[in-house]
Amino acid sequence: MTAFVARRVVAGLLLLWLVLTATFALLHLLPGGPGALSEDPRVPASQRLRVRAALGLDRPLAERYVRYLAATARGDWGISFARQRPVAELVAEAAPHTVTLAGAALGLEFLLGVPLGALAARRAGRALDHAVRALALALWSMPAFWLGLALLLALAVEWPLLPAGGIASPAAASWPVLARLGDALAHLALPALALGLPAAAATARFARAVLLESASEPFALAGRARGLRPTALFLRHTLRPAGAPLVELAGLSTAGLLSGSLTVEVVFSRPGLGRLAYDALESRDYPVLLAVTAAVAAAVVLAGLAADLAQAALDPRSRTRERHD
Amino acid sequence: MSRCTGRPRRWIAAGLVLAAACGERPVAELPAARLRPWVVATAVDLAGVNELVAPNVRFTAEVLDLLFLGLVEEQPDFAEHPPSFAPALAERWEVSADGRAMTFHLRADARWSDGHPVTARDVEFSLRAQRAAEVAWPYADSKRVVAALEVLDERTVRFLLEAPGPYRLVDVNDGHVLPAHAWGDIPFAEWRGAANRFRERLATSGPYRLAAWQPGLELELEPNPTYAGPGPAPDRSVIFRVTPDPAALVERLLAGEFDFADGLSPLDAERVTRAARLRLLASAARQYDCIAWNLRRPPFDDPEIRRALTLAIDRQQLVDALWRGRARVAAGPVPSDVWARDPELAPWPYAPAEARAILARRGFADRDGDGIVERQGRPFAFELTTNSTNRLRADAAVLIQEQLLRVGVRATPRLLEINTLTELNLAGEFDATLMGWGIDTTLDFRPYFHSHEAAEGWNFIGYASAEVDRALDDARAAPTALATREPLVRLQRLLHVEQPYTFLWEPPRLAAVRADIAGAEITPLSAFASLPRWRAPARP
Repeated sequence: MTAFVARRVVAGLLLLWLVLTATFALLHLLPGGPGALSEDPRVPASQRLRVRAALGLDRPLAERYVRYLAATARGDWGISFARQRPVAELVAEAAPHTVTLAGAALGLEFLLGVPLGALAARRAGRALDHAVRALALALWSMPAFWLGLALLLALAVEWPLLPAGGIASPAAASWPVLARLGDALAHLALPALALGLPAAAATARFARAVLLESASEPFALAGRARGLRPTALFLRHTLRPAGAPLVELAGLSTAGLLSGSLTVEVVFSRPGLGRLAYDALESRDYPVLLAVTAAVAAAVVLAGLAADLAQAALDPRSRTRERHD
Repeated sequence: MSRCTGRPRRWIAAGLVLAAACGERPVAELPAARLRPWVVATAVDLAGVNELVAPNVRFTAEVLDLLFLGLVEEQPDFAEHPPSFAPALAERWEVSADGRAMTFHLRADARWSDGHPVTARDVEFSLRAQRAAEVAWPYADSKRVVAALEVLDERTVRFLLEAPGPYRLVDVNDGHVLPAHAWGDIPFAEWRGAANRFRERLATSGPYRLAAWQPGLELELEPNPTYAGPGPAPDRSVIFRVTPDPAALVERLLAGEFDFADGLSPLDAERVTRAARLRLLASAARQYDCIAWNLRRPPFDDPEIRRALTLAIDRQQLVDALWRGRARVAAGPVPSDVWARDPELAPWPYAPAEARAILARRGFADRDGDGIVERQGRPFAFELTTNSTNRLRADAAVLIQEQLLRVGVRATPRLLEINTLTELNLAGEFDATLMGWGIDTTLDFRPYFHSHEAAEGWNFIGYASAEVDRALDDARAAPTALATREPLVRLQRLLHVEQPYTFLWEPPRLAAVRADIAGAEITPLSAFASLPRWRAPARP
């Protein structure tokens, strides 16, 4: 198990380095410079050069890359061009909002998706199965930003049941703890639905397929032959073996939810990593973009590692299988 | 290119001088009464509280105008004459007979929000910071005209100028006066990473001070207790709520969540006019949109061809269809509500028959019957680029494509991300580009049209005309702002004939405010300048 974890950690670090290098290269290949360089024709070329120097953009690309890697290794992500604040501070402020949103969406995805998938699998080929599959397909095909706007229009504007944006009501700071918590959850509801529902739809379809597959495994057939009752058969010989692929899916979903948070945070005005990256991309704020990419990549690597470990614990064959691969 | 608007310099209304009774009042004695704050929607967050290092975006510039004063305030009264200036931190000023010295007398009651007096040392500190190489303020060039600054006493400064010029007051006044006592001990070399320190030690001289700021969420300004004019003091706080998604912003505005929103599209404006609780505000924007032709690429190097293309584009239809009639057809780079506009200048008419005739005279004919004219076997086809995030320009490109097809010219719209578009334009890698420019107080069109700017400046179309160069040089050398009118009129007439750009429309600035709020207005200089004057109706 130790060797397995070590291999996974090394692979994760390598992946992180690759992501950072690719992001660095792509950012600097993009046409245009940081917005801080000012595109106002009143700014003469000589002054633009001074601004470039002040931002450290006058150094050779290779030197900037080496400095960037060294600084990242030290945990120093530099100063934001656009906000003139340490990038680490900006990321630390934004990350909890994204983690909360992605966590809520992940919870929704599995709490809704797996039972729906199980329901469809148990009623495979019947009306309920068709209904679940159709609903899942419809939800799955909705882009998160579109679904977000639709939810906002319906539940915040037309029938104002939930807040339309932000993370808390203006006066919430003076409220009791429980009221504040309720307010934060209310503000989280619509973005979590916008992000979590399409993911839940995908999970429902995946869970259905996995459950149907494990239901046709020899051990499930043997259980049926032994006369196990349908519920016991389902729980013991169908649902349990499907746990490993579902855990693996959770790791993959984390990556999707983190990247999906970008548009959802914009629609619902949540100041998370997605919003930070969106603003930084518009203004070509290189240090912030690199840091957000690094943070998200690290989160994805960690989620993948956690999923692998959980899968290895649930299904020891996966460790051996990997060694043979 | 839409972001390349001129910097609005000053905002406030003329002659609104308040009694200065509260100048000495300490912060602790502020009245406790708290009216419900105004809630204003904004698509972007404040970029920082120090304008010298914060990116120059319009929202930040206009909010900082509420926090800091300059020496004088530019007035939005430039329709009939060059803009006038009203007292701000300086209660009066004199210009020497030779135009080489300007003396400013600071108000005796001017205080920073922490109670410190505003002094000549603040003015001197601000100039030093504006010119510091380490700070690298993008507009530092405007201060090159200042040879020296003399602090005559605590309340009097004299700027000695290199040479007189038509807009020296604008140059001297560019940028706010910054608090030396609060920020003076932060080394200039650290300014580009010192946003937290600027905020922690923020002292303001304008009608508001910073009450709270949750980056990415909202910004609250509250009345500055030491503000003594020149404008009225606000009666309540204002909260700017960041709402980056334009569709969500409008829905929330219509649902009653905001008291004010700026930057509306014409379609949004239509919806606002139908909402009983909202009132539409419109103002000129001192901007124009145009198609810039790449004059280095034939056949756009031929003024006759460019004129034919202008004649083939129905600009009034574009204004009616896209702007719902709220914009004006443009005739040149000086918008119609600016004093230096040539009164005899009228936009070229929509005349497709004449356009076809010109094209035929220049050797273009549809010889293969495919609907596209050719010359020497090459069809008249080109790419029309514009920025992808500007929906209105993207729609305009499609309409123009259809209009040009009627005279046998094939334009293919191509939408590009703004940074990419700018880079391709500056590199000269385009046929024609649909974009917009903002103009500023100085009406200096040298960066766009002077041949000296063609190599690496913003004259990326490669326009070179000795007569236009002369007009631009004459305008810059004019002794007074009023004296720039003649060369500017000359410039407009030359550009009208040569059509290096096809001038499309002058867009308005559109905003919505709660219908029962009194005193709200927007100007080409600012959407927020009137905020301190806003008053809610008295409740029965």
